[in-house]
Amino acid sequence: MFLKTINAYFIPGSIVIAGALVAAAFYFSGGSFLQEEMAALDQREEIQGDGGEIRIRPIDVSKDHIKGDARATVSVIEYSDLECPFCKRFHQTLQRALGEYAGKARWVYRHFPLTSLHSKAPKEAEASECADELGGNDAFWAYINRLLEVTPSNDGLDLAQLPQIAQDIGLNRDAFIQCLESGKYASRVAEDLAEALSAGGDGTPYTLVMASNGKMFPISGAQPYASLKAIIELALREK
Amino acid sequence: MRGPTVFIIPALKLVFGSKLLALAVLGIAAVFFMLAVYLPNLRLIAQVVFSNRIAVGTKIGFLVSLLGSIQTNFSLFSAAITVLVALLFGMNVAMFLYYLKQRRTVFVGGGTATGIGGLIAGILGVGCAACSSVLLTSLLATLGASGLLALLPFGGGEFGIAGIFLLLISISSIAKKIQDPLICEPPHQDK
Repeated sequence: MFLKTINAYFIPGSIVIAGALVAAAFYFSGGSFLQEEMAALDQREEIQGDGGEIRIRPIDVSKDHIKGDARATVSVIEYSDLECPFCKRFHQTLQRALGEYAGKARWVYRHFPLTSLHSKAPKEAEASECADELGGNDAFWAYINRLLEVTPSNDGLDLAQLPQIAQDIGLNRDAFIQCLESGKYASRVAEDLAEALSAGGDGTPYTLVMASNGKMFPISGAQPYASLKAIIELALREK
Repeated sequence: MRGPTVFIIPALKLVFGSKLLALAVLGIAAVFFMLAVYLPNLRLIAQVVFSNRIAVGTKIGFLVSLLGSIQTNFSLFSAAITVLVALLFGMNVAMFLYYLKQRRTVFVGGGTATGIGGLIAGILGVGCAACSSVLLTSLLATLGASGLLALLPFGGGEFGIAGIFLLLISISSIAKKIQDPLICEPPHQDK
């Protein structure tokens, strides 16, 4: 009897509850969530060209954050969120890959802060840009390495620690604070985010392994080293 | 208290007494598990599998390597949900097949509907414990409701829990029907 009653009402009941949850989410967020992501999505059509092909802005050594040999034939372009635990994990995978494929593959870092999940991620991304401004490409990589080491992920980092991280890697604390407070890199971070979405990213980390002929292999999530290695090998074979 | 275990345990013994059905459970669970793990990278998998420039061995090696993402791309919570939903779904289907064979009828009523509901909820919850969510993120983004994930304490894993709950109800419902005596009953009359 009990089961009959449950079965009769469970499905419609679940639908009502799910609907109520979605409605509650809209109500409590005041419709303001995902503003940045939605703005980025608006730009998606402007960036994306023909039929589903992945198109991204060209790699620019003067603008992009690149680790490894600049002349490497394979580019591993990572779109990452500094508060995502899977990005933290995948960071180590990419470091290992760069060691094994030194001279053959280069790592390009672009920002993909998932604001709706990690509200602190955009500011942390801006902080890494400030590190780049004050100390160059090496300081950028040192900054994100240290930040990923310190943060417990999922918005667990106190933003007050950002200047301390800058100081830890040898940057001028006051100049860093001034840069960060100016917010001058917010648009740069938003541009990267828009590109990540237009390139097909729907979660982090999102990685594009690009061969010398421009062929792209998109990898979603923190995949194991063996999978990444297999894809880099495939990209190396593309002429 | 006479709970559903009164008819679930004997029904499980009946169904899993058959090696074929036990294998079906494992097979269905394995297929579900692989789908869950491969889901975020279907495009990449298609690129590799359908390429005529890649050796078959390399393709198989790549597919096997991707299964390792249960460790790297899932939290412990979401991995546990994925494995449980896969096993329960396999059990659900095997018990349903047993019931069909036993009664030679497709009518299982609410149990089937609940099982399907459980499967859908389970799939939505798969891989959804943090920022590497799979279906739910895409679905909510399409609906313009990605912010819902941030409001859920388990970041969407709730759907997986709901899926497990629904699948358990479905299993107990099918188990009860399997245990029902093979007799014809007159339709119930409302008083």
